[in-house]
Amino acid sequence: MSGTKGASQSRFLRGVHRTLTGLHPALESLLAGVVGLLIGAILMYIWGFDPWKAYLALFKGAYGGSYEFSSSLARGTPLILTALTFSICLRAGMFNIGAEGQMYMGGIASVCVALFVLPPGLHQIVGLIFAAFAGAVWSLVPAFLKLTRGVHEVISTIMFNWIARWLALYIAIFLLVDPRRAEKTLSIPVSARFPVLVRGTDLSYTIFLSIAFALVIYFILWHTTVGYEVRAAGLNPTAARYGGIKNKRTMFLSFVLGGVAAGLAGATIVMGLPPTYAIYGGGALPQLTNLGFDGMAVAMVGRNHPIGIIVAALFFGGLNAGGRVMQFYGSNPVPLEMVRVVMGAIVLAMSIPELIRLFPMLKKQGTEFIELLRRIGRRKDRRQSA
Amino acid sequence: MREEKQRPPAGNGYFLRAEGITKVYSDGTVAVKDAQLEIHPREILGMLGENGAGKTTLTKILSGLLPPTKGRVISPRGPVKFASPREALDFGIGMVHQHFALVGTFTAAENVALSHERPFTRIQLARTKKRLERLMEESGLRVPLDVPVEKLAVGEQQRVEVLKVLSREVDLLILDEPTSVLTPLEVDELFALLSRLKDAEKSIILITHKLKEVQSITDRIVVLRHGEMVGDVRTVDATTEQLAHLMVGEALEEEADAVELSDEELPTHKERGEARRSGEGLLHVVDLTAKGNTGEIAVDGVSFDVYAREIFGIAGVEGNGQTELVESLTGLRVPIKGTATIEGFNILGKDPREIYRLGVAHIPEDRWELGLVLPFTLAENAILGVHRWEEFRGPLSFLRWRKINQHVRQLMDRFEIQATGPSAPAKSLSGGNQQKLIVGRELAKDPAIIVAAQPTRGLDIGAAHYIRQTLLEMRDNGRAILLVSADLDEVLALSDRVAIMYEGKFMTVCSPADLDRETVGMLMGGVTAKEAA
Amino acid sequence: MSLNDILSLLRISLHAMVPITLTAIGEVVGETAGLFNIGLEGILLISAFVGALGAEMGGPAVGLLMGIGTGAAVGFLFSVISTYWKGTQMVTGIGINLFALGFVAFGLIQLGAPGFHDVPTAVSVAKWRTPMGAMSPLILAALVMPFLVYWFLKRTRAGLMLKAAGEAPEAADVAGINVNRIRVLATTFGGALAGLGGAYMSVAWMGLITKEFSAGRGFISLACVVFSGLNPLLALLGGFIFGFFQGLAEWVKTLPAKPIPSQFVSMLPYIVTLLVVSGAIGRVRFPKAIGVPYKRE
Repeated sequence: MSGTKGASQSRFLRGVHRTLTGLHPALESLLAGVVGLLIGAILMYIWGFDPWKAYLALFKGAYGGSYEFSSSLARGTPLILTALTFSICLRAGMFNIGAEGQMYMGGIASVCVALFVLPPGLHQIVGLIFAAFAGAVWSLVPAFLKLTRGVHEVISTIMFNWIARWLALYIAIFLLVDPRRAEKTLSIPVSARFPVLVRGTDLSYTIFLSIAFALVIYFILWHTTVGYEVRAAGLNPTAARYGGIKNKRTMFLSFVLGGVAAGLAGATIVMGLPPTYAIYGGGALPQLTNLGFDGMAVAMVGRNHPIGIIVAALFFGGLNAGGRVMQFYGSNPVPLEMVRVVMGAIVLAMSIPELIRLFPMLKKQGTEFIELLRRIGRRKDRRQSA
Repeated sequence: MREEKQRPPAGNGYFLRAEGITKVYSDGTVAVKDAQLEIHPREILGMLGENGAGKTTLTKILSGLLPPTKGRVISPRGPVKFASPREALDFGIGMVHQHFALVGTFTAAENVALSHERPFTRIQLARTKKRLERLMEESGLRVPLDVPVEKLAVGEQQRVEVLKVLSREVDLLILDEPTSVLTPLEVDELFALLSRLKDAEKSIILITHKLKEVQSITDRIVVLRHGEMVGDVRTVDATTEQLAHLMVGEALEEEADAVELSDEELPTHKERGEARRSGEGLLHVVDLTAKGNTGEIAVDGVSFDVYAREIFGIAGVEGNGQTELVESLTGLRVPIKGTATIEGFNILGKDPREIYRLGVAHIPEDRWELGLVLPFTLAENAILGVHRWEEFRGPLSFLRWRKINQHVRQLMDRFEIQATGPSAPAKSLSGGNQQKLIVGRELAKDPAIIVAAQPTRGLDIGAAHYIRQTLLEMRDNGRAILLVSADLDEVLALSDRVAIMYEGKFMTVCSPADLDRETVGMLMGGVTAKEAA
Repeated sequence: MSLNDILSLLRISLHAMVPITLTAIGEVVGETAGLFNIGLEGILLISAFVGALGAEMGGPAVGLLMGIGTGAAVGFLFSVISTYWKGTQMVTGIGINLFALGFVAFGLIQLGAPGFHDVPTAVSVAKWRTPMGAMSPLILAALVMPFLVYWFLKRTRAGLMLKAAGEAPEAADVAGINVNRIRVLATTFGGALAGLGGAYMSVAWMGLITKEFSAGRGFISLACVVFSGLNPLLALLGGFIFGFFQGLAEWVKTLPAKPIPSQFVSMLPYIVTLLVVSGAIGRVRFPKAIGVPYKRE
């Protein structure tokens, strides 16, 4: 059979095949998302709520209009960064769950720009540098402890989370407090604020900061020798040593980058969240709280890849934004906290590899379909070469 | 202890029969296909086959560790089905695995106790120890009972394994590649024990890939190839050539020759280099001393030279310091004494990258742990160790993927690496292709010195042959090659000069032509040349 | 400091020791078998909540039992995911923590007041009157448990089986031990103990429950486990040390003159944990197969 038409057809089928099998991790995340939402629905039903109405409100509140969409993006902005914290260190083979604490310190540090005057542009940059530095330092101490004393980073970073929380509270209540309103810190001056992107919403230019940072991380990890070494050390430290990679160095580097990311996340809240552009003390730092842990969920759903993380952050941001709408909707509204329940369920579902295996029918259909494509491709090839 | 009725009466023709056994793994690989096997009492059965032929899988099915996908196992009393190794042990089948099934932190006595009593009783350690001592008397296997097993030598560990199985009074004893970790002397002791067991009406299955061995001790031989049973002969009726051909099948004559090659020490088609050299070698090692992971001296003051245009082989049973020696020379271990210089530069204690820069290539003995990052693609693996070299690195540390991919494609061509492309994950390649990738990567460094540790381990005949040819080519090309291999035949066949390593020292350094098998065996077992004479 | 002050400090310390010790002992058993559960924090939280609910429904005993049951259930779920379903333990643990945070916050709203809930004294576990003041009987449980578990691990074959499953699962398998089943049993037991610890917190100790009730205690327990090197007796010591510093923090807060700001006092337990863990590492050795799901083929 003659050449080009048959060739391009089989190439197309091969491409489809490759996309489908390559898409597999994304499909897994999707499946986990569905399972999480399902579990949330079951719980809502048990407690006497109407899951359909609730989810409808949730999705309308997340993606229903340009205001809602902007809200979701705004909520997702810090999540991209805290997810990267967890993700970068995971790529290096470490479990850095200190994004929460590193973010607190970064946020507090960026409030310090209220203490001096600088022209706009420069003022923001300085604020970001402060935040990045604070986050990095907070992340480096656990790294140092691991290197010198072998302290497991899970324990040390969690301890630092709690220490940071109290330290940040102290600073917010006593050192950087707004003399007129004691429950919050000073607001940063206009010259240090990131301008609002969509008028009337709380989405500011910090979203570009987050996305840019994610892209930078992508390039570092996959297109530089430094990133290559980090990934190799994370996947097989022994082979990395054989390849002349200094594992201690890569570990340190990953913690620094992770800390920077989390610190910047704090900065996006302080410098990018209207209307206050400050941190509320209130006993538990309400604007910042839990963004670190949510970031971990985002990282996992995003399959630990910067691009996936951006998408997942949008989704989780949407959950948060939609949740705020959902909690006022209807006669028996579902509290906002249900969103966190759903997130936890999603992460649980994600922790099971090959979730698809638990749904044998799904897997059977999937593999059969792929087999079909493969067979068609082969038949075309054979007919060609005949 | 065990109910009598489960044991088949002796002298009834067969002890166990496997019919139509097929095993397909969950990822689709067919490990065993339609195997038929009959096991008789008072017989030593040899199971022959290459790596991946299905020997271990089949015996794991027999010993209850794996369920068969199809087929059944029957005894004279009817079909038997084992849901766990414990049930198989109760029935009378015990297996000594190639990679010991021992709990490192437990003592020998505790390891044996583990498989004996019921859960909530207090451990009757004293009783177990008494029982074990009696067993050690009978079998002639001596082992310290109160030392954590991980501190014992490999040979001793294996004895614990055997004792563990024997203490359950099995009728069928399966041993998987037992001699790969033993010195020739220990092998003789083991075989003597097996004879005694045979006389006691037991059945024994001996899995091995060594032709000479299987011919020396067994009564009957079955051969497996690609999961199928291709031969079942009495040992006395079989010739080496027959067995070799059964093992590799309708392969090229070359491959079959390669198998036979391993039986001869001096292949005629290879030219030997000079045995005696003068002056300093390209690699000049003086008094190298290094400690092992457990803190004891592993390399004990070794000195040697490797010259250009030669293959210097280090033979010996694994675990005598070869690994630590290689690690010391390739930057993976810091020795406590000695020097190793390449044209004056000392490489001991240096970083691997610096050592590579000096012109050294390292083909590591464990390609999965050391040589490759399995989740990485071919391309990413191909630059491991050289990822910082200027040809692959652009400004700002950016990697030049286009150049790298080009380089990988060249490697794939030159070394005939079968894969779908540079972006295929390394774990999708077969063992042989993975090793070829590593060899290709290392040789692309254009090294002056090649350190090859166990380069053909676990490879099929074709790939092993290819690698050996490549090493010979490199030698003819003017490189200096340090070859470390536990495969005695391989080392003797390829080396121009060979050293036999035992407990960290070189027992002798000479030309393979000066050695006969008996002497080698003794040297490997620590008997000095003078005592051997 | 008067004698009264010392006794008061001791009393608070013992009380604070209980959830940490119980959780740590449970985790010692689980980690010996090979599973690393960082979801302890979530188990504490959710058991405290369910225990409080149960107490209100049926009295203190019911509260404690429901707490134990919840902990066991979550431990069971975690272990099944980590063994039979070959899940990644770290991720599952994080998922449990997230889920518990949301679930408890959500549940508190349902009960009326967002963020906290009081447990009436009528349904709390009654404290005993002792020379030192009112002490909860569960302190005894926390003191006795470590010795029981120590005996179990060292002297029974089941303990040996557990160690084998954690250290060398292949060897255990060949010896006829069902590795996955042992791990599930061990971690379910661990979860049950943590559940008891959580229920104790709401029903027998503080008499209330808040949104972030566990306050890092799950992770402090993990630090305690590291400190103990999987020795139950050392875990008891560790629990007391951590409990002491938590008690110290509480005690300082009750002082009329505040020498340091309360935030720094609150930091104290975590700093101490960090210091202790940094000092303890290096001499402990963990089961070789911990954290890795066991596959037979």
